[in-house]
Amino acid sequence: MPLMLPTILKNLFTGYATRLYPVQVREPFDKARGHISFSEDKCTMCGVCALRCPSVAITVEKKQNKLTFYPFRCIVCEVCVHACPSEAIDLIFKWRPSSYDKPEEVYKSTRLEHLRETTDAAKDALASKEDK
Amino acid sequence: MEKLWPVELSPRTIYLRTFWAELARVHSHLLWLGLLADAFGFESMFLQFWRIRERVLDLLEMTAGHRVIPSVNVVGGVRRDITPEQKKVIIDTLDIIRKESDSLVKVVTNDYTVKARTVGVGVVTKEQAFALGCVGPVLRASGVSEDVRLTKYDAYGDLNYEPIVETAGDCYARTLVRARELFQSIDLLLEVLNKMPEGEIAVRVKGNPPANEAFVRKEAPRGELIYYAKGNGTRNLERMKIRTPTFANLPSLLVMLPGCQLADVPVIVLSIDPCICCMER
Repeated sequence: MPLMLPTILKNLFTGYATRLYPVQVREPFDKARGHISFSEDKCTMCGVCALRCPSVAITVEKKQNKLTFYPFRCIVCEVCVHACPSEAIDLIFKWRPSSYDKPEEVYKSTRLEHLRETTDAAKDALASKEDK
Repeated sequence: MEKLWPVELSPRTIYLRTFWAELARVHSHLLWLGLLADAFGFESMFLQFWRIRERVLDLLEMTAGHRVIPSVNVVGGVRRDITPEQKKVIIDTLDIIRKESDSLVKVVTNDYTVKARTVGVGVVTKEQAFALGCVGPVLRASGVSEDVRLTKYDAYGDLNYEPIVETAGDCYARTLVRARELFQSIDLLLEVLNKMPEGEIAVRVKGNPPANEAFVRKEAPRGELIYYAKGNGTRNLERMKIRTPTFANLPSLLVMLPGCQLADVPVIVLSIDPCICCMER
């Protein structure tokens, strides 16, 4: 016990080791891995991120143009960020706020929609040309 | 994994990996010392150790982005680098960690209550430890000078390293080994930071893992960690096996537990630093 005395005395006269969490929030470090976000205008629904993800946090249904992200399965390992061929996944250096439920995030690729529209238009144009 | 190709790593990558390995050792040993204090009912000591550990976790978050599992290693290199500003902060924080742990470790190693609960409890002799295939601090506390870092993998060849050995083989000896390793790891971290060469942090590795096999031994905080990987030229590996130190250390409980007091069971089981979730693979 006497050996512990300096630590006890020090604790009595120094500040708290903890903080009142929801009131006082410590800012994360500059490059702390917060969470990932998807850019709908860059994504092509290729599915590479879903293949690479070690925790099965991403599912891609290309036909329905639907990417589902499960944020509470994600371990922010950064694999998808580096694997994405169209650089559509960004690492955000802020922590995701805590939550009572585990919501899913659904993304729709505007780039894929645009690509499909243009290909459909091209196909129509080709078809009308052949008809003539 | 790099042994499969094989890939030549840049010296900075090797040093960075050693840095994170040693930082993880500091964090793991502080966690263990706290848990040991908790196992024999010294709750305030437990929180004091975890308070220091929080500083190490902050350093990990600053350098790697995550607090416990760095996830910085990729095939061919690492993902993050240490900037000169970070280096300064790390050196200052390590100094604080050393001072704070020093006062607490003095309590653990000299206090009457701690000694009463650990000295002569769960004794494993040198022969028994060797025969049961113990690894890491458990083996070193029984007087066997065995450490994978002696094989000079990663940057350990350039560092001033020698294993810490105790001879008693009881819980107290295992505590001493880990407490002294804590300070040794801080010294190694400073040495790594001072000797770290400049250069690339990752090399680009192309293609699938070739049809080859690799066997790697590393010294994790709990002891010797073995990785075996076998590729067959396709995208997926044919076989991957990881043997964690707890798997090798568990049989030593066969010698430690029979005939002991029921109240000593938590201390003895904890003294091998078991991680059952790591072991089950």
